[in-house]
Amino acid sequence: MKSILVIGHNDLRLFFKSKAAYVWLFAVPLMFVYFVGAVNRGPGDPANRKPPVLVENLDTNFLGRVFLDELGAQGMWLLDPTNRGSAARTVRIPPDFTRNVLQGKPTKVEYAEREDSAEADAALLELRLVRALIALNSHLLETVTRFGPLERLTENELRQAMNRPDPVTLNAHFAGRHPVPAGFNFSVPAILVMYLMMNLLIFGGATLAAERRNGVIKRLMVYPVTHAAVVLGKIYGLLLLGAAQTLFLLAAGKYAFGVNVGANLPGVILVLLEFSWVAGSLGVLAGSLLPAEDRVAGICVLASLLMAALGGCWWPLELAPPALKAVAFCLPTGWALQALHQLISFGGGLGATVKPLLVLAAYGVGANLLAARFFRS
Amino acid sequence: MGLLRVEGLAKNFGAIRAVDIISFEVRAGEIYGLLGPNGAGKTTTISMISGLLKPDAGEVFVGGARFGSDPQQAKRHMGVVPQDLALYEELTGRENLEFWGRLAGLSAVEAKRRATELLEALALTERARDAVKTYSGGMKRRINLGCALLHRPPLLLLDEPTVGIDPQGRANILEFIGRLRTGGTGILYTTHYLEEAESLCHRIGIIDHGRLLAEGTLKELQERLGGDRVFVLEADFKDTSPEAWDGFHERFRVLQKSECQLVVAALGSRDPSACLKDLLNLPVRIANVMVKRPSLNDVFLQLTGRDLRE
Repeated sequence: MKSILVIGHNDLRLFFKSKAAYVWLFAVPLMFVYFVGAVNRGPGDPANRKPPVLVENLDTNFLGRVFLDELGAQGMWLLDPTNRGSAARTVRIPPDFTRNVLQGKPTKVEYAEREDSAEADAALLELRLVRALIALNSHLLETVTRFGPLERLTENELRQAMNRPDPVTLNAHFAGRHPVPAGFNFSVPAILVMYLMMNLLIFGGATLAAERRNGVIKRLMVYPVTHAAVVLGKIYGLLLLGAAQTLFLLAAGKYAFGVNVGANLPGVILVLLEFSWVAGSLGVLAGSLLPAEDRVAGICVLASLLMAALGGCWWPLELAPPALKAVAFCLPTGWALQALHQLISFGGGLGATVKPLLVLAAYGVGANLLAARFFRS
Repeated sequence: MGLLRVEGLAKNFGAIRAVDIISFEVRAGEIYGLLGPNGAGKTTTISMISGLLKPDAGEVFVGGARFGSDPQQAKRHMGVVPQDLALYEELTGRENLEFWGRLAGLSAVEAKRRATELLEALALTERARDAVKTYSGGMKRRINLGCALLHRPPLLLLDEPTVGIDPQGRANILEFIGRLRTGGTGILYTTHYLEEAESLCHRIGIIDHGRLLAEGTLKELQERLGGDRVFVLEADFKDTSPEAWDGFHERFRVLQKSECQLVVAALGSRDPSACLKDLLNLPVRIANVMVKRPSLNDVFLQLTGRDLRE
């Protein structure tokens, strides 16, 4: 056991002696998280998008402000005229909005289309604008019923009514299928899985091939260390490397990209450590089977990119045809991502990840046995 | 009882007989040299002794116990210095020493303490914190040697530890090995350098084509030639045969013959001047005669018919 730890810790120290390790473990994955996350999301929670809308509030009284709050509560991202770049539509509240409403006169809130805006966002905005108007009318009606005539209505009375719990609420869930993970909620686990597989395969395989070439593995074998301890020590070193990358990217995901992994953090870490064990074992296997570092690097890059793409790291599996989904579930990347999306995007607990964890454990044991079988000095 | 006993060790690689039933013993406080040209079977022998290769036949005993009965225990008794520089080039000299010490079973504190001592003994203290990749060839060789010594093994297997370094670096290493021997360490030392075997080793085994052709002290091996003088004759020997010379084989042993050179050793304890007179009277026109003390190369020449330096 001691020799496993000694070999593993030494390997970790060696990895961090290389400047390239920092680039491939931290810098490049971080850039990919940002890039993939940015192209896969708009602002807001990906499962509950907040399309941007440009608001011009010309009303100087309270009802305009209350209406804006209602627009926000209905799921719009309100932009002021100084920040109009990405808005899909424009909402204009007229100057006499409060006065007209309180006098019971119909008043028009203008809703204008902007060129080059996304159709999906525009449709969502129209829906939410209608919901906001209905909600405002409902609150006015409720306030009048409780506090008296409309013309004497105050902002405080209206907000009291708005803050009361709704007597009826609708709790909607996706029926029979999951929502599609998007934005950084998709990119953080996906890029983490892809780069764990790629780095542990390449670092594990190339390091082993290099150490075999320069005689270090032979030297290890003349010490009072068993064959199994050397193999496990190498895998343990890669597991530590995977843990370092996991912790860094999860922290970056939380603090830089706002991904909420807090509720299921132990589960997320467990899945990623188990996946690192699988990837590390495959790396040692690659280093045992392939003769030289350049071969290891070439084949492992290809293999990890294929496993990443087919396992759902490049696009959500929820969007993939059934055949591709079936392929994904033949790969450890597919199972790892399924478990992570359960924990991060679908609100599942550790119980929902039992099956993926068991499948990954089977991969780990299989890869371990093969790595030990083909390991050579 | 020797620290290391090798009995009837043999190894084949396909049709090639790499090691052909060799036996020898290394005792405490002794340097046993295994001398032979490249490809003679020296590294294969060390690989079998250290457990890297499984012998096809024969047994290895370390400290009296059969290696196969408890390989891990046997490995604790030995330190192995490979011919290649098997080091972590990115790590410092100290980090290398400490890692191999920890792997040999030392605690972190003990490995650190012994690494400090070894760095001092190997004259590497000033470079201890530099990456090994920045070391000279001789310094790398010294660290390569030191890595096998952290756990103070009673038996040391050195596989050509001075290959490819300058004379000064070689002298430093040989001096260090001599000090280890004085401390009681039994050392198996493989080399193809005659000078190293002659100056360093107490007993020498001469190996070629996997076979141990002879073993003994330098003096014992020299005596195999039949005397303490060797004569090198230069002449045209193309159309002549020593077998045809009357009485020649009763007085001399031919070590090597080429078209222009004949190397012979005198049999018996005759006076060198008498031997010289006999040689000058041979029925061939001698261009030059040289008399010298027999070297290990002459022994090798006698045993194999070829020069070790070839």
